Amino acid sequence: MSESCGNPNFESEALMSRRPKYDKTKICVRCKLAMGSVVIRHVVYCKPCFGPMVATKFRRTLEPHINVTPDAGPRRKALKAPGSLLLGFSGGLGSVVLLDLVNRSYFPPSNSTGDASSEQTKSGNGIGLRDEKAERRGGKDHPRNLRVWDKGSVCYVEICGAFPGMRDRTEEMRDLVNSNFPQLEFISARLEDAFDDAWWNAVGGKLVDGAFRVDVSSEELHLSAMSGEATPADRLQKYISLLPTQTAIPSAIQDLTRLILLHTALYRNASHLLLGTSLTSLSVSLISSISQGGGFNVREEAQEEWIPPDSRSRPSQIPIRIIRPLRDVGLKECAMWAWWNGLHIPGREKHPGGKQGVGALTYNFITGLERDFPSTVSAIARTCAKLEPKQVSESHCILCQRPAQPGIQDWKERISIRSFIDSSIIPPPHVSRDGIFAKEKSDSGDLPSPGLTPLLCYACHTTLTSRSPRGTARNADMASPLPSWVNSRLSDSIATTRKMGEGAMRDSIRDFLLEEDP
Amino acid sequence: MSTPPTLTINVEFGGGLELLFANQRKYQLSIPVLIPPDTTATPPSGSAPPPILSKPADITFLIRYLKENHLKERPELFVEGETVRPGILVLVNDTDWELEGEGDYALKEGDEIVFISTLHGG
Repeated sequence: MSESCGNPNFESEALMSRRPKYDKTKICVRCKLAMGSVVIRHVVYCKPCFGPMVATKFRRTLEPHINVTPDAGPRRKALKAPGSLLLGFSGGLGSVVLLDLVNRSYFPPSNSTGDASSEQTKSGNGIGLRDEKAERRGGKDHPRNLRVWDKGSVCYVEICGAFPGMRDRTEEMRDLVNSNFPQLEFISARLEDAFDDAWWNAVGGKLVDGAFRVDVSSEELHLSAMSGEATPADRLQKYISLLPTQTAIPSAIQDLTRLILLHTALYRNASHLLLGTSLTSLSVSLISSISQGGGFNVREEAQEEWIPPDSRSRPSQIPIRIIRPLRDVGLKECAMWAWWNGLHIPGREKHPGGKQGVGALTYNFITGLERDFPSTVSAIARTCAKLEPKQVSESHCILCQRPAQPGIQDWKERISIRSFIDSSIIPPPHVSRDGIFAKEKSDSGDLPSPGLTPLLCYACHTTLTSRSPRGTARNADMASPLPSWVNSRLSDSIATTRKMGEGAMRDSIRDFLLEEDP
Repeated sequence: MSTPPTLTINVEFGGGLELLFANQRKYQLSIPVLIPPDTTATPPSGSAPPPILSKPADITFLIRYLKENHLKERPELFVEGETVRPGILVLVNDTDWELEGEGDYALKEGDEIVFISTLHGG
């Protein structure tokens, strides 16, 4: 029973009778013959019609973006991707369903000559795709029936290195992929690879002499040279431990994972990176991202094209398309697909401290909303798909490598308190008076130390600097290491923008100076 | 002709939900055919007078029965109020429980009830 505006304890009419979750009848809306087996956003499907419905949604989202020139209207050309395929795999429900759909649709066993439906009948109990045999006309060598991607890989990024004591599940995931999806190659990566020069070199990144660290206690995020030796895992743990809020931790992990996947895709000449984000997960990430300052990149949250910063000037570089083919398929549909096809879901490992973050709270809110008002979740995604920023940005954030809104620091200066030197303003708990005066003094010096802030987007700056209202525990050492791709770009950026002293400036133009009269 | 006092149903857990139930995926349960009309009432204890049994056992009762008799840990991950937590799907004989009246579905002999968690993420 649902509650209306009245008090149900005293007014019997205040309780409304619960409406059925389906619109009209229990008959399948697709075949109009069989009794329904599942209700998806008020629409009833029988079990045989459910599979093709999910597969159609998956293909309808993915296939217009496979060819180099995206299809504007109905597709008439054969599908052929310009590079290989990489799938991001987390072990969660959406990931496993994505692997299953990609495997059935584009990497069928070689002895079945591309007939995905024959694989279905082997299990006898699963739900099928549409009739592949009818579509694969023209023989096995017909261009229509060639593989869309020559090669497909699955990349799993293990995050246990960020949290000591967490279980390493790489081998479990390797076994799952190798045993269920033998046509796809398994690639393992680790979150600490983001801080590992060897990995950065292996994926084709430019190694630089020395690394930078950033002082996360200042809004300007002052940079300094990294000193001492530390393992990649130590650097990762230091980076995570210095994040100011519980909300920032999952955001940082998500960004690092995304960039590891992208650089892996780049190294393997992938043209497409597919992620198993379902409609429900997409709605959660959209709301969560906007609430953390990522509104400028709301379009990229759904779909994006990424060109590595080093090759943006090269027109020959094919961008990597990050596509979420399950973005029209809700969590319920994924769960039913997995259940009816007997897919094993290992699940994502929960990391400590994430329950009170904005992401986790948004997830609880959205899943509750989906149960009571199933269509609202798709309305969130559809509404966000209509949003776009007023201005196009040419610059990209050095950390997440998404477009960065220009002039964001000027705007922040106008709307927020930037100095606590006025004694009438009470500073927040994480700021000490001594620190304020020391910082203000250093800021007034001739040579400002370089900062990371101008190179960040609003969301990344917020992730690194936003403070909990309860204050943040201050460590003695607030200098955080930075991922390899940031170090690589910083070395270029700082080398070209460092302010020269008067003596150095005079030396550089010495040959052109006129001698002063004696 | 007498009504059998209990009915036998099969319960299965999927999507990681079995971890809350001693890591056992399948249960065969015998539950009373009729339960007290007050759904919040607990099963009769020794000294209390026997309640009037007038309502067929339904899935709402089954959820409470599972919580009280078989759930081993973290009940907040399985129940919310009188129903399952959002994100848990229920199938009645391989059919979505939303087509069967959800918690009001009256259980029958030999029914197969499946609880699937979707809380594994993407």
